[in-house]
Amino acid sequence: MASLISYQDILGRKKAAHLLRRMTFGATKQEVDAFAQYTPQQAVAKLLKDPNLEFPPPKDTATGQNWVNPAPSDANSGNETLMHQVKCWWLDQMLNAPLSAKEKMSFFMHTHFTTIESRMKYAPALYYQVKLFSYYALGNFKTIAKKICLDHAMLRHLDGNLNEVGKPNENFAREFLELYSIGKGDQIGPTDYTNYTEDDIIAASKIFSGYKEDKDFSSLDIETGLAQVIIQTNDEGLAGRHDASVKQFSHAFDNQQIAPAELMNGKATLEAVLDELDQFVEMIFEKEATALHICRKLYRFFMYYDITDEVEQNVIKPLAVELKASNYELIPVLTSLFTSQHFYDLDNQAKEDNNTGGIIKSPLDLMAGTFRFFKIDMPSQNTDLSLFYETYDKGILKILNDQGLDFYEPYEVAGYAAYHQAPAYHRNWISTNYLARRYEFSRLLIEGIKNEDEQLLYKLDIVAYIDDTSNITDPTNPELLVRELVDYLLPEEITEERFQYFRKTILLDDLSDINWRKEWEKYKSSGDDSAVKIQLESLIHTIIQSPEYQLS
Amino acid sequence: MKRRSFLKNISAASGGLMLNGLPLSVMARSGEMQRLAASADNERVLVIIQMHGGNDGLNTVIPINQYSQYYNIRPNIAIPDHGKRRFVTLDSTLTEEQQTGIHPDMIGVKELYDQGKVGIVQAVSYENLNGSHFRSRDIWFMGGNYDEYLGSGWMGRYLDHLYPGYPDAYPTADMPDPLGLEIGNNVSLAFHRANGIPTAVSVNNPKQFYDLINSVGGEPPESVADTHYGHELQWIMDIEKKSNQYAGRLKEVFEKGSNSATVQYPETYPYNAPKNSLRNGLAPQLRMIARLLSGGCKTKIFLARIGGFDTHASQVESYDSTMGVHAALLYHLSESVKAFQNDLKGLGLEDRVLTMTMSEFGRRAASNGSWGTDHGTAAPTLIFGNHVKPGITGKNPDLYDLDRNNLRMQHDYRQVYGAIVQDWFEASPEAIQKTRFEDFVYNDKKLSLIGNPVLGIEDLFIASRFYLKPCSPNPATLYTKVNYRVNVQCTVELKLMNQEGKLISALVKAVKSPGEHQLEMDVRGLQKGIYHITLEAGGFRDSTKLIVV
Repeated sequence: MASLISYQDILGRKKAAHLLRRMTFGATKQEVDAFAQYTPQQAVAKLLKDPNLEFPPPKDTATGQNWVNPAPSDANSGNETLMHQVKCWWLDQMLNAPLSAKEKMSFFMHTHFTTIESRMKYAPALYYQVKLFSYYALGNFKTIAKKICLDHAMLRHLDGNLNEVGKPNENFAREFLELYSIGKGDQIGPTDYTNYTEDDIIAASKIFSGYKEDKDFSSLDIETGLAQVIIQTNDEGLAGRHDASVKQFSHAFDNQQIAPAELMNGKATLEAVLDELDQFVEMIFEKEATALHICRKLYRFFMYYDITDEVEQNVIKPLAVELKASNYELIPVLTSLFTSQHFYDLDNQAKEDNNTGGIIKSPLDLMAGTFRFFKIDMPSQNTDLSLFYETYDKGILKILNDQGLDFYEPYEVAGYAAYHQAPAYHRNWISTNYLARRYEFSRLLIEGIKNEDEQLLYKLDIVAYIDDTSNITDPTNPELLVRELVDYLLPEEITEERFQYFRKTILLDDLSDINWRKEWEKYKSSGDDSAVKIQLESLIHTIIQSPEYQLS
Repeated sequence: MKRRSFLKNISAASGGLMLNGLPLSVMARSGEMQRLAASADNERVLVIIQMHGGNDGLNTVIPINQYSQYYNIRPNIAIPDHGKRRFVTLDSTLTEEQQTGIHPDMIGVKELYDQGKVGIVQAVSYENLNGSHFRSRDIWFMGGNYDEYLGSGWMGRYLDHLYPGYPDAYPTADMPDPLGLEIGNNVSLAFHRANGIPTAVSVNNPKQFYDLINSVGGEPPESVADTHYGHELQWIMDIEKKSNQYAGRLKEVFEKGSNSATVQYPETYPYNAPKNSLRNGLAPQLRMIARLLSGGCKTKIFLARIGGFDTHASQVESYDSTMGVHAALLYHLSESVKAFQNDLKGLGLEDRVLTMTMSEFGRRAASNGSWGTDHGTAAPTLIFGNHVKPGITGKNPDLYDLDRNNLRMQHDYRQVYGAIVQDWFEASPEAIQKTRFEDFVYNDKKLSLIGNPVLGIEDLFIASRFYLKPCSPNPATLYTKVNYRVNVQCTVELKLMNQEGKLISALVKAVKSPGEHQLEMDVRGLQKGIYHITLEAGGFRDSTKLIVV
């Protein structure tokens, strides 16, 4: 029986690794070992504690300075370049931030409130959206749902800037209901999607009417200090383009009405417009369906894509109750989920190991997890700025794209298929092409990625990694060496046969243990690593190019 | 991916390109396979072009019998009825309620239409259309009702039925290719079966795909557990296996195949449009399909995709409603399909291929204030091919009788798919049942969309629209008269050529109105001998002999 009853014993290596793979972008062997000593409650509390580490804003190669205060000038690089830099800057945080759930939750926010870079026009819009995700990553989901309505990137993305009284544009209203908040339910009538109707979309588009972008990005939200959109004003300082009429919602929302609290000359005041937004989001989040929708999204992101009736009853529903009871604070439900017996496969005698290893890693999880585990050296924006951007561009963004994650440019408004497209969900990460590209990643990693000037951007020096006793206790012992890799790199125990394939067939090339010891000793005495290097690289290729390594 | 067993197989096949799948004995035992072979092997292919985002049908096929109402409800985006970029009248011989214009950037489609190779089905949708892109697209792929939630797609179910035992039993000698092929990186719901990996693979470039597949991989685990972990592992391993099996074969047919030397596929939109809509992304996909087919690929269903139709804003340019994103997209579609059709003709494949468009929904009848359109319902489906029954099925949507500002549907999308599966694939009643189209292909639901190929100008479809009659008198001494007919207002070129094909005189080069026209010419200045008079109008070409004595 799936159950949220908490698990309270010391985690141990396997469960700690499982927790860290899911809640973070990856941990080192040393971090896994440290977390293995904690109970789930201790571990999860540590991961959910905001590190409060402010990453400095991205610097522009053209000026060597950041441009976010408040907006770029003519001296800065072009807009496309700046947007690109923001993405690289965010990836740097995912790869290098201290171990925490914050970056993973920020990415969750992006997969939920997905916008498309090429539709948003301004680099600051992208920057402030990423900051917003980060700000609320471990915060309140209802609050970020309000803030996203006033987000520049979102306004552009779904044509909110064109939505005016008399000239409604339904794009944002529809997706807000369908994707971002209450979610679409079964269609039970011509225009009735259970949770809302087509008329609700029209009414909601009136709520959102009359916003416009603040091209200076100087209008800041008091709470977050981040730039947000403004309300279009007329000569009298009123919301001139806002639909001031009474918005009538359907039976799905108990026929509620929302209207401006204050009208002057038939126009709403700015406060009244914002108050309508507040009332509207409150009305939606008052519905149980909203909490259920968010919990299902969290479950599919962190646990497994297939939500059975049993999981719906015993996991999703109680989580949704908790989410609503906490007024949509995320930490309580994340704590419940990640400390539950369900998460650690202890609620199901018949099928242990149901959830461990049951998620297909996103390309980002695959790459970030590998980089973090092997502690791959990457340039920082404080050392060589252009090399930094080049490395993240050529070495990360492009490879993510090849593997099916076109970062901030998903094909459709609903976002990346893995997070919404039934029936396959995360299986969408695996197609004939994408799978081959994922396997190809190990070659790039081991051969190293270079720029056009043959300058090395990054590379996994596997001999150096193995030749470090804090990673591998005794490199002369092939049994231990392979054990200490697969135990940490693969999500599940493997069969003895499989283990011997990695050890004997690949690492030893069917030769003896003694031979390996001699080769290693030869390397240590002569410094010539050519023989051990070939075998170790072959081992890493085989592990990364295994179906098991694709799983989390 | 270089699994050891895979390597063994390729070395046995020497040269190592092909992996031939199952041993023959397994094939022979499969009686069902042989029984089905007849129906599976009609060698006919369906190419589906997904117009992603919801195509604005009213600016694609314009109801010109209600032009003033059309203009009234969408004045900022309406395609004009006058000027250089007015709509192109499709066919004056249609009934009044079928009178349509097509977007001025769709002259490629017009050319194909005049050759009898285009069918248009009006107002296709389904009951209670879902306004969500994602849900509605899933319904079109799934082949169900608005309130059904199936984990499989109609193509997947059809192919699963046609080729039982997929994936384990494939490839076979009779079906060495992927059952379905989706161009790109993903496999849509359409190809999903009830269980297991989808019936299609996705490929961008067969050669690169092969090289990639053959540069990676290790040995897979031998067994998997019955857990979520085990199921995901199995999924990955199955995809990997299919990649291995098909990579070599696809490369082989791709390299063996070719495109017609004389056909130029379009690359860009030649007029002004936003930068990221200039490139024609559809043409290379169709070109690849033609090439794979010419190399012997037996894949039954291809899915190609062109995106950008979600035109909530700036569907047209504010200064010219015939320009902009939507115009470029329709140009891409129209010119790509024209090139594809000509390519297939040149390759001798025209009789094997039927192409159709689909889109999750049409758009709102009235435009919005952002020079765009919000989500709507019914829209036309276009069908192309030598075997299409040419013309229009249904009538123009009634713009005076809207349903919540939306066009009323005339045809369920499953009537369209169903007619194609039944008449093009010649599917058995059992196969139809698997597709779940059985309620849409019999009695009054049945659409007639497939016909005999339009063989030439004698065909009634063309003869009633265009002709060039023999000269009279002929032989001529003093003068002769030529009668010809065109179906729409179009540029007509009438030329006098000598026997070597050299132009002697351009008799007519002018825009002519629909109907019959007559040219009287004086032949006294001509040398005695044999001449040809040729007529070119739209996609129509014909010639007639003239003897001057």
